Amino acid sequence: MLITGERPALHELEQKGRWLALLMLAIGLHMFEASLPSLGPWFKLGLANLVTLLALIWMGPKAAVLLAISRVVIGAFFIGTLFTPTFIMSMAGALTAAFVMIAAWRWLPGVSLIGISLLAALGHMLAQFITVESLFIQQTALFYALPPLLLLSSISGWLNGALAMYIAARLP
Amino acid sequence: MPVTLKGTRVDRLLLLSGVSLIAVAWLLIQSFMASGPAVAAVYHGKTLLATYPLPLPGQPAIHFDAHGELGISEIVIDQDGARIAASPCTTQQCVLSGAHRHAGDMIACVPNRILVAIQGSAEARFDAIAE
Repeated sequence: MLITGERPALHELEQKGRWLALLMLAIGLHMFEASLPSLGPWFKLGLANLVTLLALIWMGPKAAVLLAISRVVIGAFFIGTLFTPTFIMSMAGALTAAFVMIAAWRWLPGVSLIGISLLAALGHMLAQFITVESLFIQQTALFYALPPLLLLSSISGWLNGALAMYIAARLP
Repeated sequence: MPVTLKGTRVDRLLLLSGVSLIAVAWLLIQSFMASGPAVAAVYHGKTLLATYPLPLPGQPAIHFDAHGELGISEIVIDQDGARIAASPCTTQQCVLSGAHRHAGDMIACVPNRILVAIQGSAEARFDAIAE
């Protein structure tokens, strides 16, 4: 059989392969975090967001947003929470974190991956609470638990940012 | 890109601003929460289903069945605080989170749309008993 049309450039294939490798890593971390005991309602370490951050700086905003969506959908499929309230919360948090990362990366001068990760972690937690309060449990009492969880998110966001810098420096 | 835990000046400024805002919000919420008796409030979505005072030592535990989207969440309120003993949700995170008795604590079962919130000055009440 004669194959017509242009073959994809090696660079393009390499980028796709790299994105898929990051997606696999993100899904693995998503499932690992889901299996860990929770420190508070909907608090996670944010390791999967770290992979989104790496996708952003290596491949750009489109790759980062696609990675965030794909890992939530595929991760939820494996965990068994697809299209449940948990899935909607997870999607809201992941997408908010991705868009906050993009905004900070593009328009916040002087910020490093640590600051971007910090803002993304705070955005993720806030988005989850707002989603739950808007769609599922319409009680302002929910927000009473928010400040300590935001503090924990600040710490995890900062550490994830430092880890992202470490990885980015060694895997350019 | 140098690898450091310190971050840039902008990073530190963001952290300081964020933590300051969170601390102020936390203090405001705590001052609001402390003004009232210690109670466990059970909600389903927009609806307040029940409000129970936290039992004192020697008083019997309270059992309450909260009807949610998926079924019944069994709530137990005793001297240890309030907890969800059984839930029809798949993840069981609400059950695993255990008992809570501090003002501002909450247990939320999002799939079943059930929220158990501890409100009022729970700690002050226990201190008074110790005296």
